Formats: sequence, structure tokens, C-alpha cells
Amino acid sequence: MKVKILRQKSPEDESYWEGFDYYGPSDHTIASVLDYINNDITYNDQGVKTRKIMWDCSCMQGVCGACAMVINETPRLACETFVDSIKGNEIIIRPLRKFPVICDLMVDRSIIHDNLKKNKVYIEEYNLKEAKRRKDREENFEHQYTVAKCLKCGLCLEVCPNYVDGKNYYGAQFANECYLVASRNQTKEKEIKKTYAQHFANNCSKSYSCMDVCPVNIPTLSSIGKLNK
Amino acid sequence: MKKVIVIGSGIAGMSNAIHLASYGVNVELVSPLPSEQSQSVMAAGGINAVLSDHLGGDSISSHIDDTLKGGAFLGGKDAVSRLCENAPDIIKYLEKIGVVFSIDETGRPIRRAFGGQSHNRTCYCGASTGKQIVNGLDMEVRRFEAEGLIRRRLRSFFHSALIEDGVCYGAIIYNMENDNLEAIYSDALVIATGGQNLLFGKTTGSNSCDGYAAGRLFMQGVELKNLEFIQYHPTTLRTSNKKMLISEAVRGEGGRLFYEENGKRVYFMEDKYGPNGNLMTRDVVSREIESCAKQVYLDISFLDLRKIDRLLPEVRDLCMKYKKLDISKEPIPIEPSVHYFMGGIAVKNNHETNIRNLYAIGECASIYHGANRLGGNSMLGAFYSGMVSAKDIASRDFNDDRPEFNKVLREEEDNLDKIRQNLGNIPIEKVKAHLAEVMNNKLGIVRSCERLEEGIKDIDYYLSNADNIFYDSSSSMYTNYSLYEMLILAKATLICANNRRESRGAHYRSDYPDIKEDDAFSTIISYDDGKLKVRFDKEKCYEG
Repeated sequence: MKVKILRQKSPEDESYWEGFDYYGPSDHTIASVLDYINNDITYNDQGVKTRKIMWDCSCMQGVCGACAMVINETPRLACETFVDSIKGNEIIIRPLRKFPVICDLMVDRSIIHDNLKKNKVYIEEYNLKEAKRRKDREENFEHQYTVAKCLKCGLCLEVCPNYVDGKNYYGAQFANECYLVASRNQTKEKEIKKTYAQHFANNCSKSYSCMDVCPVNIPTLSSIGKLNK
Repeated sequence: MKKVIVIGSGIAGMSNAIHLASYGVNVELVSPLPSEQSQSVMAAGGINAVLSDHLGGDSISSHIDDTLKGGAFLGGKDAVSRLCENAPDIIKYLEKIGVVFSIDETGRPIRRAFGGQSHNRTCYCGASTGKQIVNGLDMEVRRFEAEGLIRRRLRSFFHSALIEDGVCYGAIIYNMENDNLEAIYSDALVIATGGQNLLFGKTTGSNSCDGYAAGRLFMQGVELKNLEFIQYHPTTLRTSNKKMLISEAVRGEGGRLFYEENGKRVYFMEDKYGPNGNLMTRDVVSREIESCAKQVYLDISFLDLRKIDRLLPEVRDLCMKYKKLDISKEPIPIEPSVHYFMGGIAVKNNHETNIRNLYAIGECASIYHGANRLGGNSMLGAFYSGMVSAKDIASRDFNDDRPEFNKVLREEEDNLDKIRQNLGNIPIEKVKAHLAEVMNNKLGIVRSCERLEEGIKDIDYYLSNADNIFYDSSSSMYTNYSLYEMLILAKATLICANNRRESRGAHYRSDYPDIKEDDAFSTIISYDDGKLKVRFDKEKCYEG
């Protein structure tokens, strides 16, 4: 199988496509394909000696989000995308487009944290009045638990038609984090809803493509519904 | 204002940074990747604490006793006592910062049982306790970042500590983005880099936990402890990515271990240990699976499908996703895998090492778990160690005078240049692959003098041929410069295992199968001018 990877040596360099021949098993993941190319192949499909492919990985089981990339035009995690799930006979891999490339498939996603920090999106203190606490437990607990699983992987931003570079519009992960804070600290609810409106709600065109690609299946629509109440 | 460098941003590193910042200390939080990508997010189980509304009969002293007993009495008694005494306040703190614990109808954390515990005292957050705690702590770090007390340095790797005459003055950090070394001075340096998984290749843990920091500090004079005690998880699923943990819950729900012989299933654990044989402790089950020398399976297919969906959804999904295996119809092929390191950097109760102002916390430090760790105690130890070391640092006065390390920095830059120019003929990936093979085969679950000595010889070959290793300029510089220290740490581990001529906790010797009361001491290993010296800590110099 042919593997095509969009590569870039450094942030200053131009990007280019490079092809490799993959002869490994089809039930392996794209993460394993990248390992295979790095450990067992020294030459590209043109017979030219090549350098290692740089990419981020850590947990290799879909719970850390490090290996988010675009695989055959779909933003996904490499560690849970399988060769035999790819349609056609080519695997085409490129880095996430909405973030600056550091090297090859490694991107700088620090803007996700910078925006949360800048807008003081943190709980500080679990603080709900008794009545609200009871209601919260009954109605919102499961959703809060799912939202707190957000990997900050950036896949929801990659696929979002409204998210450009994170300067004004911050995307689904920001909305979900706002929900978690507002739902767990009543004293911050007003302030957080304001920043949520400014950096998400006022500009979201409601394509909800973010929910299609989320590796931990966060129902962003539910966060939006709860915050818009 | 005091300044501290923290290396590693998992639960231990973040706990330390947050506590330091709350005391008004400036923190540089150094890690290659953000906290969401730390190994801590993979911890599923829970966190032990005897809360005020504990079950009848439970007590903090029971938690202490269980931890000491589980560790085959090598855990420090005072340290373990303080760990368990502080556990209820730690849960209270985590609840306060908004961690989403699984709660009952009264709003209190639900507690469940883990192996080796006399009572249900493990608080948890669904099946993702580590991730939920990381998320809560990450928000607190963010708060202190906004206040200017914590500064994160990402894409940054530990290189070495700045040490002179037994005192630490900061660290040299390698920044991947500008391919440079930088010396950063600080009042204290805290290491929170996790276990040494990568010495064993693919394990249940993160491949970014490689043991380099422990290996490097060892060569700089830091003593290491109990390296021979490595916890194997008996039931993991081998995939192309890694070995994925199959929760103990499967055996808890009646899962049966077997292998096939002449077309028949042999339920070897039940045959040897009776009807509850499948629920023996992790070390016993791992050894029995190893001794089968055949593919072993874990069968839960007899359980009602609705029960599988309700009780084991994560296991069901993982097997389906990675192996297209339906656990309600087929048995799961399993094998033991390295899971947790009880040994690591030797620390006193305040988590300071034998080098002044240098601290180690979390899995990379060795103090609470002795010869084996109880489920639910790792995240507790990680959080508590970050907290107790921060308190110690905040209470101390540091000397403003410090030596210059410009010459040291220049020498280290020259060393990296030499690596860049090295064109030996042994590829670095092959060395790492062989290192993992040696550690799995020559150290492994069941050990013997003969095999351990073979392992030491194998590692020595690469150490003595370090100049012939091909350093690949297209790999990251960290990958290149970390290899030698990983080899040294591997050798130290093999020596510790060879030195303990008894079987205790997770350390099992086929040539010394019994426990020896005279050996009830921790192993300490030190590095002196290229020589590795191992001893038992009979003076208990790391306690108190």
C-alpha cells in the first residue's frame, strides 16, 4: 500500500509530499504504520534516503490526543485509525491545518490553552447552592464527566467551518470547557457565559461537524443547549 | 522570590507546581507535551482514601497496614502513615477544584474494592479517574499561569541537573524547537518524570516515560532504590500499538484463565489454587501465565450479554476496536506486561534525594509502595508527593550564592555536537529494540542469576560500543542523547535484581524462591566514577 505524507522540515521550510511503500499488516493502526516507516524503512518510494517522520504520540490508545492528524481527508487519531478502514489503496496523511506546523505531523496546539487561560476558564471552586447541586447531580453529572474527558486534541477545531486561527472564535472545545466551569461554579456562571457568547455562540454556524470527529464523543450540542438556557 | 523547576507535568508535577504556587513560589513547569498527554491520563482505577463516612471497620491504620503488607514491608512506615493520613484531605481538595468524582445519591464519592485491600476505599471517576484528575489539576495550573506564578515550557526535555558539591542549583533543559541547551538556575529542582517503561519497549504505559532522567541523575550522583521491583499486570492484550490493559474487573466478574492442550481447555489457575484461583494477586497470576509457556486466554463469554454491556463496556469496546474481538463470543488472548515501577529515585520523607535541593516525586521516586503497589495507591502517592515536597521547599531558606555553570553548559553543548557528528554503524532503533528484548527476556517475571548476568553482559556490550552507535540526525536530539543513560539505568536494574537473592513482592527468583527475613531492606544503588555499587539500606538512611 502506498503511504503519502505531507512533510515540512521546520516552521520556516516549505511543505512537500513524500511517498512510502507499506508492506505491513492491514489490521494495524496508522500509528503503527508511522512506526514501521520510521523503524524499518530508510528509503522513500523513489529510492531516496529519507529522514524520520516527526509526529507526537504518548498513550497509543485514544486517551491522550497527541496523534491527531488528517488521514485521507478526515481529522482523526492515528492510534485508533486502522489501515483496513481506509477506502482506496492509498493512505494520505497530513498535519492538522488549523495549527502551525513544528515539523512534519507535529503541530503547535498551544493556542487552545492560551485562550482558556486568557479568558479565565477554570473552575476555582466547586460551588453550587444545595438545590442546584441536587438538580445538577440528577441532570448534568454524566455530561460533565464526558466533557472533562476532552483531549484538547484539536480535531473539533480542524473540522470546524468557523474556526480559523483561534484569534477570535475559539471553537467547540472552548464551549465545552466553558460549560464545565459554569456548571460547577455558580459564582462564575455569568462571567463565563459572556466569554462563551463572545468567543463561541455568536459565531458558531451550527454545522456540528465537531461532534462527528470527537474521539471521546462529547455531545457539544448538549453543552450549547445548557449554556444557552 | 523563590523559583523552582518542575520536570514533568502529570499528576505529581502539577500537584507540586500548584502547591508551590499557592505558597507564592515561582514555578517553571517543564515537559515535552502538555498535561493531557501525560501518562497520568491513562490511570483508570481510582484513588484510595479512608473518608470520614468510611465503611464500618475501616480506618486509616487499616489503609496503612494494607499498604505496608502489600509492599512486603519495604515501604517506609512513617512515609506510608503520612500518605494515608493525608488521603481524605486530598479527596476533599480534588472535589473542591471540581474533579468529577462518581458520587452516590447523597453526593459523596462512591468507594469500591481493589485487590489487597481490607475494605472498599477506592474513590473513582467512572473508568477515567486519571484523566478527570488531570483535567481538574490542569485548570488549577491554568489559574496560577494566569496569575503569573506558573510558567509552562513545552517541547522541552530534561538534560541534566546543575550539581556542585552535593547541592543542586537548577537544570539544563533541551528545547526541541530551537535545538538548544539552556541552563536554568533555581532554588530547587523537582523531578516528576514517571516510570521507565520504554526500557521494556511496548508496555501498558506511555512511550514518553523512558527513565532517562533517573539514569542521568544516577550518573550525576543521585542514589536509586528498589529497581528490581516492577509490577507486571497479568492480563494485557497485545496490539500493534502497545500492550493494552484488560481490567482486573473481568476476573472480578468471573473471568476464567485457560490454555489449550490437545484440543481441551486447561483452567490452570483453578486447577492449582481452587475455584477462586483466577483472582490470585497480580504477581502470582503473572508468574503462572509465564510458566504455561503457551498462549493463555481470558474467557468471559459465558456472561450474559447485558451484564457485559453494563459491567465491562470499556473492555468490550477495546477488544472490538483493536482486535475485532467480541468478548461475549470469544476468549481474549492475553499476556502479562510491565505496568508499574515501585523502584526509582531514592528519596527521604520530604522527597528530597541525597543531593540537596533536588527532589523526586510520583512514579519516578521510590518510597511508598515497597516491593509491590496496591491498586488505588499510585495516584494518591503522585498527588501527595507533589504536595509534601512543595511544603518542604516553601518552608526552607535557600542560599542566594550559587556557582557559575557556564563551563558545564559549554561542555554539554560540545557533547551534543559530538553526537551530531557521530556516524557509527549500529542504528539507534536497533539498540533500543534489543534493550527491550534484553529487559523482557533476561529480567522478566521469573529471574535467575544466570539470565540476569547474561543481561548485564548484553547491556555492557552496547555501553562499551557507545561510540559505534549511529546517531540519527533526523530523529530528535533527545532520542539520541537519552540512549546511554537508558542503558545505564537498565544495567542498574539488572544488578539490583541480581543482588536480591530472595523472592519478595513483585521480585521472583527461580534460584531463590523463598522470602528471607534477613533481606527485609531496600536496595540502594549508586554510581561512582563508572562503577555501580549496590547495597541493602540497613541503616534506613532514607527514612525519617
